[in-house]
Amino acid sequence: MKRIFYLLLVLGMLSGLTGGPRPVAAAALSQDLPPAYRLVAENTRFALYANPETLALKVLDKQSGYLWHSGLDELAPGDRLNKSWAAFASSGFSIEYLDNKAINRRISISNSNCDLRFTPVAGGFDAEVTFVDFGITLGLQVRLEESGISVQVPAASIRQEIPDFRLGLLYLYPFFGATRGDEVPGYMFIPDGSGTLIQLRATTKAKTMFYGKYYGPDLGMITALPHNPAIRRPYRLTLPVLGMVHGEGQNAYLAVVAQGASYGELHAHPAGIITNFNFLYNAFIYNESYFQATNRAGAGVTVIQPQTNAFDVEVHYRFLSGQEATYTGMARAYQRYLVERGILRRPAAGSPDIGLRLEFLGGDKEKVLFWQRMIPMTTVAQLQQIVTDLGIANVEVVYYGWQPLGASSMPGRSLRLEGQLGNLTELREVAQRLIANGGQFSLYLDPQAAFVDGKGYSSGGDLALSITRAHPQGYNRNMPLYYFNFAALQKRYRSLSADVFSQLGAGLALDGIGAVLYSDFSERQVFNREQTLRAYQQLLAESEGRLAFYTPNDYVFGVMSAYYDIPLGDSGYLFTDQAVPFLQIALAGYVPCYGPALNFSADLEEDLLRHIDYGVYPSYFLSYEVTGKILNTRSDWIYTSSYAQWGPIVAETYARLNRVLAPVKGQEIVAREQLAPGVWATTYANGKQIVVNFNPEPFSSGAFVVNARDAALRDGVLP
Amino acid sequence: MSRLKVICLTLLGMISIALLLPAPAAADPPYTTWALGPQGRLYRTQDAYVPLAEVDLPVSNPEDLFITPDGALYIADTGNGRVIKWQGDELVAEYGKGVLGNPTGLFVTDDGTLYVADAGHNAIFIFDAAGTLLHQFGRPTEPLFGKRAEFLPRKVAVDARRNLYIISEGSVNGVVQLNLAGNFIGYFGANTATMSLKMILQRMFLTEEQLAQFIKNEAASPSNLDLDQRSLLYTVTAGTDPTRSIRKFTIAGKNIFPDAPGSMTFRDIDVSADGLVAAVDANGQIYEYVENGTLLFVFGAPDQGEQRLGTLRSPSAIQRYQDSLYVLDKDKNALVIFGITDFARKVHQGVRLYVEGFYTEAEPYFNEVLTYNGSFLMAYQALADAYFKQGDYRRALTAYHYAEDRKGYSQAFWELRNTILQQSLSPFLLAMVALSIGRSVGVRLERRYRWFDPVRAWWERVRQQKWVDDALFMFRFIKQPADSFYYIKKDLRGSLGFAIAIYVWVIVSRLLGLYLTSFVFSPYATPSEIHAEIEILLPVLLIGLWNAANYLVATIQDGEGRVRDVVIGTAYSLFPLALFALPIALLSNVLSLNEIFVYNFSTSLVWAWTGLMLVIMVMEIHNYSFKETLKSILVTLFTMAMFVLTAYIFYVLFTQLYDFVVSIIQEIGLRVAR
Repeated sequence: MKRIFYLLLVLGMLSGLTGGPRPVAAAALSQDLPPAYRLVAENTRFALYANPETLALKVLDKQSGYLWHSGLDELAPGDRLNKSWAAFASSGFSIEYLDNKAINRRISISNSNCDLRFTPVAGGFDAEVTFVDFGITLGLQVRLEESGISVQVPAASIRQEIPDFRLGLLYLYPFFGATRGDEVPGYMFIPDGSGTLIQLRATTKAKTMFYGKYYGPDLGMITALPHNPAIRRPYRLTLPVLGMVHGEGQNAYLAVVAQGASYGELHAHPAGIITNFNFLYNAFIYNESYFQATNRAGAGVTVIQPQTNAFDVEVHYRFLSGQEATYTGMARAYQRYLVERGILRRPAAGSPDIGLRLEFLGGDKEKVLFWQRMIPMTTVAQLQQIVTDLGIANVEVVYYGWQPLGASSMPGRSLRLEGQLGNLTELREVAQRLIANGGQFSLYLDPQAAFVDGKGYSSGGDLALSITRAHPQGYNRNMPLYYFNFAALQKRYRSLSADVFSQLGAGLALDGIGAVLYSDFSERQVFNREQTLRAYQQLLAESEGRLAFYTPNDYVFGVMSAYYDIPLGDSGYLFTDQAVPFLQIALAGYVPCYGPALNFSADLEEDLLRHIDYGVYPSYFLSYEVTGKILNTRSDWIYTSSYAQWGPIVAETYARLNRVLAPVKGQEIVAREQLAPGVWATTYANGKQIVVNFNPEPFSSGAFVVNARDAALRDGVLP
Repeated sequence: MSRLKVICLTLLGMISIALLLPAPAAADPPYTTWALGPQGRLYRTQDAYVPLAEVDLPVSNPEDLFITPDGALYIADTGNGRVIKWQGDELVAEYGKGVLGNPTGLFVTDDGTLYVADAGHNAIFIFDAAGTLLHQFGRPTEPLFGKRAEFLPRKVAVDARRNLYIISEGSVNGVVQLNLAGNFIGYFGANTATMSLKMILQRMFLTEEQLAQFIKNEAASPSNLDLDQRSLLYTVTAGTDPTRSIRKFTIAGKNIFPDAPGSMTFRDIDVSADGLVAAVDANGQIYEYVENGTLLFVFGAPDQGEQRLGTLRSPSAIQRYQDSLYVLDKDKNALVIFGITDFARKVHQGVRLYVEGFYTEAEPYFNEVLTYNGSFLMAYQALADAYFKQGDYRRALTAYHYAEDRKGYSQAFWELRNTILQQSLSPFLLAMVALSIGRSVGVRLERRYRWFDPVRAWWERVRQQKWVDDALFMFRFIKQPADSFYYIKKDLRGSLGFAIAIYVWVIVSRLLGLYLTSFVFSPYATPSEIHAEIEILLPVLLIGLWNAANYLVATIQDGEGRVRDVVIGTAYSLFPLALFALPIALLSNVLSLNEIFVYNFSTSLVWAWTGLMLVIMVMEIHNYSFKETLKSILVTLFTMAMFVLTAYIFYVLFTQLYDFVVSIIQEIGLRVAR
């Protein structure tokens, strides 16, 4: 009797819940567990509860006793959510589908006709959801792990049975950790630049939500981004992570996209736009519409891409509590994640001094009469002279513009040095001497770039094609370029890199390949972004030499020996509050990070302080000759580089940074706090603390004094 | 105002503004910064200003801004019909509520009096510091104002003598000047209307009624204005040539602002006390100049929905206050504040000294600026002036060359040449005297002993060579041109081979001349600017067309010349160019701008002589009378033009055909693929 009563109760509640949450006075983030949720997995640290009707989750952090919600169960009075948004907030995931006119609409599990199959398994559950009216099926697999949960949507589980409706976007657990207005203090973290925080408030300065595509836009779909040299684009999202802190020092979570980031987007909604909730989530793109021009006048049709993007989605949520619940803790959790996967490895000990990146301009060509004249700016002998003159052993030299006819010409398939700069034997000697002294030597290479008026490639067979059968175009270092398809890229990279590694014993400084990801719609072989990503990873893993990258995405971290041009701030959005060194903390102790060239800095003092604060090593762009000589070439973006002018400054800034940063070289960052407005303290794993004072007045704490606009090292207290 | 008061007010201002100014954000600005470099192009440079903050204001569509020395911001809140005073991050006072309609222009004098231009009531309102309305001026009644002229005040400025300068919308006569009593004093600073060839042709051929249908060609009216420390008026005019948009007027009304890169859509201009001019345009770009017209920096970015700090959506006013730029954005209803960087501070320090003539004191600052940016033209200009003042003419010469200042280069060159001449004049004279003595002695001796006889015999033999004969034939044209053409016609002298050689030499010497002409006289600053292909193709085309057209026209007009005659004749008539173009170019290297007459005269002489030879050639080769010659030449020129036009038409047709075929193939490919 009792059993039937309880069964009826449960059934009644289940039936009530299929209509979505009803407005009921409820607490903000209650720690109560509604009866609809059942325990599906448990381990020493966490307990995972799931709602079989909506696939919503709750995760109980046993250490802190905090219950994480994946969405809303009930609305509170004053919540500005209409039916569609309410369903969006309560369902585990929602999708956007495209009809045959390429118009998209959003539907969620709880407000549409679904066939839901919920299967608890050991460690979690599997679910299969079919949106019956549209014939779209997705499979979801949630597992409890040691440090959190993992959510997977395998590509094989996706079916689109009705040809009129295609799966557009998947919103995965969009309201995970959402907070109402300013009820919970804390912030959201987005990986913009070095990382930036959005405080949880009731109102915001933002007019629309923030959305960013991981790894930048797909040139295979849009063909080209409008090029305007007068503006600086916002930073590309290089790390597929997001996070939220509920009470600094109390609870936080970090979501890392392990697979599927190439088609992932980050959407962040501060409270006050559309809804009164703060939430951020990952969305994944399966099909997009695009504009296909059918004649030269520009008229055309909007069509949906023919093939659905095939990729697996795997997102890991890591939960942090106590001292770890800060952005520093999140960065360290991300670092642990990368170490666990073998992506980051401890480097060899090396010199006790910090590194210095010196990028040398070999030369460029200028048009004289009918032919191109090479203007040598730094020959190999001059390079050696400068390095010896500076007397810094741990120097990372990058040679840019080494190819015949300089920086704006395509390097060939085999290694050939421009005659006026020297010969290969000289270059080899210089490289070996540098490496023997404790430094590094690399040649600059952009394997993806096919310069628009360059020679040495076939525009029919070697270039990638976008979905509209045009050549994707881009810009890098003032050169307009097309992009190679993977077959051509692989051939050229393999032969050139083999030459560089074997003939010179030097490394490669790779631009483009770690940063720009595009899909290729060539008829011969279609490569979507995910396939391109894996192909790049495989190709780079074969390299037998040292590789350094310019602002790379996370998928090349596994082969990266140095990070160049690391962002030292964020993109300056009005609705973000504070730039944080998430990226630097995640890489600290494992990969040396070098900042952008300091020649181009408008305020050298400020930038140096930021280098010290973030633990980043300095970089300079140098040439032996005066910069005036290349003003009529394509390298005129290097508006100052002469060693005669910059030599003393290089030596002085290196000495200053080395004094403070050498004692913490190779150490992880364990804590970061603000001692006063404009005064930051970063604690490293060996107990040393660097205090940076950005203010024009000195800072003192007891006997410890830091001068105005200066930094000091002291023994801190390990947390 | 007493000095103490000024200091106190400035301190107060700095404190209150400091409250408004946050620390620089940790982000690269959303724009890149450009500076003027060689060849009038803009080059990238370090950021001069970084965005500090965006302050939301309780206003609606604010159109003007004024910051007083004590740091108070007065904002014309157009949408709400009032002027607000904003200080220390809050609204301190409100003026004109209920009185003003749509205030669009604002000026505050030192004693706190507000002058407001109201678009709603088309009047000027004057309030005192407490907010009491003092005066209201409507349309001036003086007959000088014009019977049909409208008074639509939009912007106002007040000079030291309390005269009002008012921008009246659509006023083609310039800025309206009123005195403090509201009497119309006059118009000032009108723009000029531009005349184009099309308009001239229209006026020649169309009737009165047809002309009346067109929009009147009136001068554009200025859109905004500002007064500097010396009460000189600056205006910006939207919709005109971007290089002439900013004007600076003397008391006499003459524009002394040189042509400088600018924008067509300037919205506001501000001239600071230390001579820096800032202007903002509709695209969110900010231009900064020195008051002598040199462009320093260009930066800024429009807000395209990205919501980043430092982007502008619809800027309406700009003002500099203590090294920061305050820009009012009427779309965002906010104030965007840009702070100066170290780099720009150094540039400004150097510029301040330079503008006042302290060239030597400015030198170390500009040397440092060159470390930052090797292409900063202003730096080279200032250094060149400093070297010149110090008497270091050699370094001044190189610096002027970099700065592309031909006048300065010429002056430095003159000084250098002067010193060299003075040093070497006496030895030179001595050498000349010795040479002439030697020459007369030598000639006399030679006549006696005939030393040069073998040379003479050799010369006679060489002269028999065909090519040498042809070359020497060229010199005959100097004295007997008509006769020599007759010789060509009769196949007595001159050959086709040598004619081609002359053509080639003319083109080569022209090209060499372009390279070898001194910087002072050359239109190109560096050799890389010379487009060699065009310089070669153009003469070849001209020569080929002339020969073809001339011969063809002659066959119709009973000319006697054969093709051979025309080709050889034209070649020999180009002999002034062949002989003298290169020497003139070489000569220009020892001339300065003071002797520009010599250079210009010789060049013109050579061209005129060539023209004359061509006329004589046509007359002689085809055996025409003078009238027939002229007719033939005109028809030849017309035929050449027709050739070019036909070629162009064919080119256009063929590209159309090509486009058409390509798009058909593309469409087929797409449809088949689908």
